[in-house]
Amino acid sequence: MKTKQIITAYAVTIILFLCCPAFLNRYWVDVLNNVGLYAILGLSLNVILGYAGLFNMGHAAFYAIGAYTAAILNTKFGVPVLLLIPVAGVFAAVFAAVVARPIIHLRGDYLLIVTIGMVEILRIALINDLFGITGGSNGIYGIGRPEIFGFKIKKPHEFFYLIWLFVAITVFFFNRLENSRFGRALNFLREDEVAAEGSGINTAWYKLLAFILGAFWAGMTGVLYATKMNFISPESFNFWESVVIFMIVILGGSGSIMGVILGAFLVVGLPEVFRDFANARMLFFGAAMIVMMIFRNEGLIPPKPKKFVLDA
Amino acid sequence: MKRIFILALALCLISTGSVFAAGKTVRIGLMGPMTGPWASEGQEMKQVLDLLAEDINKAGGINGMQVEVIAEDDAGDPRTAALASQRLSTRDVVAVVGTYGSSVTEATQTIYDESEIIQVANGSTAVRLSEKGLNFFFRTCPRDDEQGRVAAQTIKKLAYKNVAILHDNTTYAKGLANEAKALLVKEKDIKIVFFDALTPGERDYNTLLTKLKGSKPDVVFFTGYYPEAGLLLRQKRELGFTAPFIGGDATNHPDLVKIAGVEAAKDFYFLSAPLPKDLPSAEATSFVKGFEAKYGNSPNSIYAVLAGDGFRVVVEAIKNAKSVKSNDIAKYLHTKLTDFPGLTGTISFNEKGDRVGDVYRVYRVDAAGNFILQP
Amino acid sequence: MEQFFQQLTNGLAVGGIYALIALGYTMVYGVMKLINFAHGDLFTLGSYLGLSLLTSLALTENIGAFMGVIALAILVMALVGIVGVVLERAAYRPLRESPRLSAVVSALGASIVLSNGIMLIYGAKYLFYPQNILPSMTIPIFGLPVPLMRIIILVTSLVMMAALYLFIQKTTIGTAIRAAAIDQGAARLMGINVDMVIMMVFMIGPALGGAAGLMVGLYYGNINFTMGWVYGLKAFTAAILGGIGNIPGAMVGGILLGVIESLGAAYISLAWKDAIAFFVLILILIVRPTGLLGERVAEKV
Repeated sequence: MKTKQIITAYAVTIILFLCCPAFLNRYWVDVLNNVGLYAILGLSLNVILGYAGLFNMGHAAFYAIGAYTAAILNTKFGVPVLLLIPVAGVFAAVFAAVVARPIIHLRGDYLLIVTIGMVEILRIALINDLFGITGGSNGIYGIGRPEIFGFKIKKPHEFFYLIWLFVAITVFFFNRLENSRFGRALNFLREDEVAAEGSGINTAWYKLLAFILGAFWAGMTGVLYATKMNFISPESFNFWESVVIFMIVILGGSGSIMGVILGAFLVVGLPEVFRDFANARMLFFGAAMIVMMIFRNEGLIPPKPKKFVLDA
Repeated sequence: MKRIFILALALCLISTGSVFAAGKTVRIGLMGPMTGPWASEGQEMKQVLDLLAEDINKAGGINGMQVEVIAEDDAGDPRTAALASQRLSTRDVVAVVGTYGSSVTEATQTIYDESEIIQVANGSTAVRLSEKGLNFFFRTCPRDDEQGRVAAQTIKKLAYKNVAILHDNTTYAKGLANEAKALLVKEKDIKIVFFDALTPGERDYNTLLTKLKGSKPDVVFFTGYYPEAGLLLRQKRELGFTAPFIGGDATNHPDLVKIAGVEAAKDFYFLSAPLPKDLPSAEATSFVKGFEAKYGNSPNSIYAVLAGDGFRVVVEAIKNAKSVKSNDIAKYLHTKLTDFPGLTGTISFNEKGDRVGDVYRVYRVDAAGNFILQP
Repeated sequence: MEQFFQQLTNGLAVGGIYALIALGYTMVYGVMKLINFAHGDLFTLGSYLGLSLLTSLALTENIGAFMGVIALAILVMALVGIVGVVLERAAYRPLRESPRLSAVVSALGASIVLSNGIMLIYGAKYLFYPQNILPSMTIPIFGLPVPLMRIIILVTSLVMMAALYLFIQKTTIGTAIRAAAIDQGAARLMGINVDMVIMMVFMIGPALGGAAGLMVGLYYGNINFTMGWVYGLKAFTAAILGGIGNIPGAMVGGILLGVIESLGAAYISLAWKDAIAFFVLILILIVRPTGLLGERVAEKV
């Protein structure tokens, strides 16, 4: 009975949400598109930060690798954008595997600063036009639009469905992951690393896997960003961008899928809602962060404690 | 569950909030960095446009229609700028003035073009912005290649042999540095002894200056912005490094002298569009007077004045084309507007939307810290 | 060779400031295990308050340049210290029992509030310290002309650090701070007022940051509301480099970071300066996972 009600509630919300581009102007639809992108980024960081408990404040680096891979392959070789989504993901994952391997054993805040260092080094490399393919500070312009059966996605209203479809896939996938052997291993590892190691979980390997998976997903999101903006530059992937993704996860509720999505709505949406305060909008935004953290200090929707029902 | 419904309801409410009613006004958008590192430029751009709009409305508006300036914050960041431009495109603006920074502008060009809104950039000098064949894109600032040409010419004229070029790795500064370098290496008797970038936003450039001094240049061409230029001048004096500095137009700001100190800024050369005070035109003098009366100081940033010019050409086009349709305005600006008396000299646009004509002048800072136009 | 020593002094001057700011990060971290991301903005606040006081009280004209600057420093440190305590009360105390990262997000929020608050009060424009409050002259050291102001910065930084070190090691309050850093619960059982310790830490750390802000204003002459972010990140890096939570570590880390930056920029690449600094940091952490002077302890579970 109860579950039926919940399902109807979800269904109604989803249908309402899918209809909302019809009532919204392109600005608000674009805000929702950004929310969607950051929700996916937040969910991908959630694997690293929420499930595995690794303090990664350099997530924008993976996102950047994905976006740049797509931009370069699309503008130089004309590879279609949609095809590039998995390719860019793989590039980001390989980058993560190489970079994270030597630093994975660092603890807490040391990992935090190293990941900040990673994203800063990458940004400086992009600005200095590494290998002569990143366009330096100019970035890359003219990234193609995605095409599905001859239909070209151009307008914010059209991107809305592409991006939120990807959000839905992400939610589905990570929801399955949470309950998988891998997800449970990460949870164990976060709660008690020593005990996890003792129970035969190869902690270093699982941590690395979490990094690779999160990076893979962020890399794919980078493609969506690149094609939506049709222009990317190093400024879009600075340290502050990583901080924003980090805040989304913690504010929403580290480890909780619904929480992270709500976090994306607030962190990306609030500065837009506060636009009427003009120059003071970021001040209100900062104050709102503090207040929300104080009143919901586990995050807005913390993950529910796991229940396992024994078959009687 | 309840929470979800409330959220859905809230979304619907937000959506209705942005519906507006169009009256008998012309709306002109301003997109500028109201927050973030370039906030002082953006806020001054708004001051300039507010003043100009006020004057026009007092004088009866454009063809009887009142003008309204709708300002949006792009925070000097491409992603925020994309949102700001989407927002402006939903608010029934005829044209948008802005913004500061080429990569920020670039993130918004497609959006304005697709919504058929005129964009007049004021501080975006990267060459390729106007090479895309966009019908609705204009800019009142000249391009990097034009400035690079003037810089190379100036260096040649002053007969310097060993030239150091320093940029800050931003789109604008690097573009200008590359343009100047490309022209200077062609000269037989000029040698580039140093070409590198500093990290903007820092306070201490002694390391850089020590290195620069070691390369023994006759002159240093710095293509970055005024805060760094001021610090470089101040610290170079302290270091006893005497080679003269030449700056690009982003160093044109009264704060340059305040950061450097009057003694250190003395004999600094820079290129720039002429300052309003150096224009004999009645428009420029009355503008500066009006600005001083309203805000208590004369305009600081040349880019804010260029935004004012962007606003004025749009107004002129609406007035004479007797239309608020983008196509008519664009056509007027492309073909009919010639030698319009701007606040920064006469303005005409070519088919790409670039400002044509000799815009750049050479300025020198005198012993009292004033910017003196060089003949 | 002369250029090498010149670059070394350049690095030391920058490093002295990093070290002073890094102390604030490290002290707060030591006791609270919190990365106070708002610390960089407290540093900015110090330079703005310094300017306000300098122009409104005209201290340097009334009681002489050196005495005036010292009085100014004390005032700025006191004020920024008070702001630090208020900040702790408002944004961090309610989160003391919650997950560590929640407090980090609150700190990021506080950083946004402080920097944008400064922008709204003082404006987005650059502000300027009056020139030549302290005589601008150079003193030859080993044949190198070193500006007096730089020597003052370095010496002041070192004196403050030494004073802090002695305070932490020798006084009763210092002992209480060290005890609270090791184990808050046990410290409380020993009759230490941990709330008071935290208040002290949030007074001393920001006060030192404020002093650094004042010095930056006096030496470099111009300030704006975004500068805390750059200095804050560098100082945080320095604190980690030395081993966060460790006071001598912050000093070593700060000075070292300044020197690495300077020599890296001079002899490897100017444009890659910050990348080089981070690269060295990562290398050091791979070899010594808890920083140069950090203790190897298992993280609390």
